[in-house]
Amino acid sequence: MSRARVYCPQNGDDIPAPLRFTSHHNLVYRLVLSTLTGRTVHISQIRSSSPTNPGLAPHEISFLRLLEAVTNGSQMEISYTGTILVYKPGLITGSAAGVGASGGVIQHELPSNCNRGLSYYLIPLCLLAPFSKAPLKVLFTGPGVITSSTPTGDMSVDSVRTAILPLYNQFGMFNNVELRILRRSNPGPNGRGGGGEVQFTFGHQIRLPKTLHWMNPGRIKRVRGVAYSVGVSGSNNARMIESARGILNPLSPDTYIFSDVSSAPLVPAPDKNNPNAKKKIGLGFGLSLVAESSTGCLFSADVASPPSGGEAPEDIGKKCAFQLLETISKGGCVPPAAVTTMLTLMTMGSEDVGRLQVGREVIADPNMIQLARDLAKFGAPGWGIRDAAGENEDGDVIISVVGRGIGNVGRKVA
Amino acid sequence: MVGKRKRETSVVPRSTKMKDASPPPADNAQEIFRKYFEAQFEPIENGVSQRALEETDSRDEETGDNDDDNSEQLGSDEEGLSGESDEDNVVEVVEHEDVSLGANDLMDKKARKAFMSAKPPPSANEKTKATTKSKKKDDSDDDTHDAVNLKNDLDLQRLLRESHLLDSASELAPTGKNRLKALDLRMQSLGAKESLYKQKNMPDAFRQGIKAKAASRDEKRRREAKENGIILEKPVKVAKSDNKRRERGVGGSSIGKFSGGTLNLSKEDLQSMQSSRGRGSRGGRGGRGGRGGRGGRGGRGGRGGRGGDTTRARH
Repeated sequence: MSRARVYCPQNGDDIPAPLRFTSHHNLVYRLVLSTLTGRTVHISQIRSSSPTNPGLAPHEISFLRLLEAVTNGSQMEISYTGTILVYKPGLITGSAAGVGASGGVIQHELPSNCNRGLSYYLIPLCLLAPFSKAPLKVLFTGPGVITSSTPTGDMSVDSVRTAILPLYNQFGMFNNVELRILRRSNPGPNGRGGGGEVQFTFGHQIRLPKTLHWMNPGRIKRVRGVAYSVGVSGSNNARMIESARGILNPLSPDTYIFSDVSSAPLVPAPDKNNPNAKKKIGLGFGLSLVAESSTGCLFSADVASPPSGGEAPEDIGKKCAFQLLETISKGGCVPPAAVTTMLTLMTMGSEDVGRLQVGREVIADPNMIQLARDLAKFGAPGWGIRDAAGENEDGDVIISVVGRGIGNVGRKVA
Repeated sequence: MVGKRKRETSVVPRSTKMKDASPPPADNAQEIFRKYFEAQFEPIENGVSQRALEETDSRDEETGDNDDDNSEQLGSDEEGLSGESDEDNVVEVVEHEDVSLGANDLMDKKARKAFMSAKPPPSANEKTKATTKSKKKDDSDDDTHDAVNLKNDLDLQRLLRESHLLDSASELAPTGKNRLKALDLRMQSLGAKESLYKQKNMPDAFRQGIKAKAASRDEKRRREAKENGIILEKPVKVAKSDNKRRERGVGGSSIGKFSGGTLNLSKEDLQSMQSSRGRGSRGGRGGRGGRGGRGGRGGRGGRGGRGGDTTRARH
């Protein structure tokens, strides 16, 4: 596949050469940045060295479908083996009537062999949503929706709602943002599939995100959490809560963990005798914790029972509490899980310098460095990094980000 | 000797704790209360605390009897109370794990609602701000609060009624076509006869179809809202069009059916005319002169309860 095959009806000659990337790392954020900046990307060598599963994985394909659903006019070409992807982004329309949305809601089905949690789709989708033309409403259904955290490292949907979505408040987006969990599900057997159902609404579209200056991490003020058990006894929740509170209560007295018990979801499993047969899937339990500081910084932790089972709820609770403490100990205003969201939104902001304090360990993360390189490749100016000074340094660094001022193309003429 | 005694004392309280778990925390609690009290007021005289200490000592002795080497234990007690109590503090292990749940269920419920809804949970800072604001308002005036509530209520009802118009638009104040539709809806709710935009003439099948579709759509909307736990406006009771008189134009005749340039009178019309005459005579008003034809009331009466009368007249 060559560049010449990327057909552009408007001005076939003038299109800038596609940005070239390799490997499947950071694929989702590359696609998001491509959509936000309008640059075509050419990604090659996607798992080309894998003899058994070369090319795009099911969850990546599913994300491409989601991108196609929320945009208008995007074109993607995938080579036969799936190791090369060319993506030419279109306009982010959201769920405007008439383009794939029925009743204002885009329904997105995830395949049963998906092994990523729903947050894998949700967090990038949140990044696109503020820049869409119409409000974005997506209903995630199908036999692959896992709402809990997963062994593949995705956070739970609860954490997305309680730790990621409030961050959009900092950029001036707060109206009509909803994440409704209609049905919960843990990962199914071998960590694949689930039967959850989640409706995501992002109704606050803006022209440009506000410039952010966030340099005071504050002190942890309260801890909240959700313990969920799906298709198993609710006493697991109580046990997780008990052990997590045992660790957290002496450190923060304002600790509440709420319990949510639900039955196991059913997914169709037709067999020869009964084509309407259904089976239970996604049993398990887990805990999501969020710590909020006095300045509104949110740190989250997520642990769920492994799909193979064999772990006591007390251990899960303890692990989760320790994970939360570890995340907090990394310092800064944002945890590693949210830093991509923050920096991307700051980059998309107005042409002004925004500042963000992050912990040293957070910025030393390979994903973070990859993000910086990708952003640079998409034409964003480099970050300025200096040591934090003053009373709340704690070895943190301050990242200065210059906005690109592109913002919402769909809202330019409004 | 000193080292050995230390070892002993470090063992003894532990054994008491293992045998009888409740008393030491109670003592401890008393101690805490005492400290708290003293911090608040003046120190309590020595007698009370001394007694408490003695109690602990006697308990220590009892447990010491159970052990083999009680003589040493007693010796240590005689030596000095202060040293003993210090070491007690060192050994005391408090588990923070058993936290009492359900102490404040009410707050829990409220917090749960705020936290577990579909929206991202409100930040702690925001919440405090909101509460202080509302408190101030409460203090200043209750009436203004009521007025605001009323206004909000009205706005909410309006929003609920007209929300189906706002499907695409994001803002609350509708604009353009939606504004006109909303105005029309409000006019109707205030008593306008029918919509400004209602099409007058239409084949009956069309009209029935439109009605049926609208009804089914509304039913579906309500059902889905109910399933999703969304509160909708109350259904407006449609008054069944009973056998009231049809509204006629200004120039139209009050009786019969005018079509094709002729006025057709049905049997009922004739009956009603006859009955009206009968009624008029019975009423003794005698006013059925030149304008007797306009006896709308008479007509209605004839169609309604006077049926028996007219049949008798026909016989």
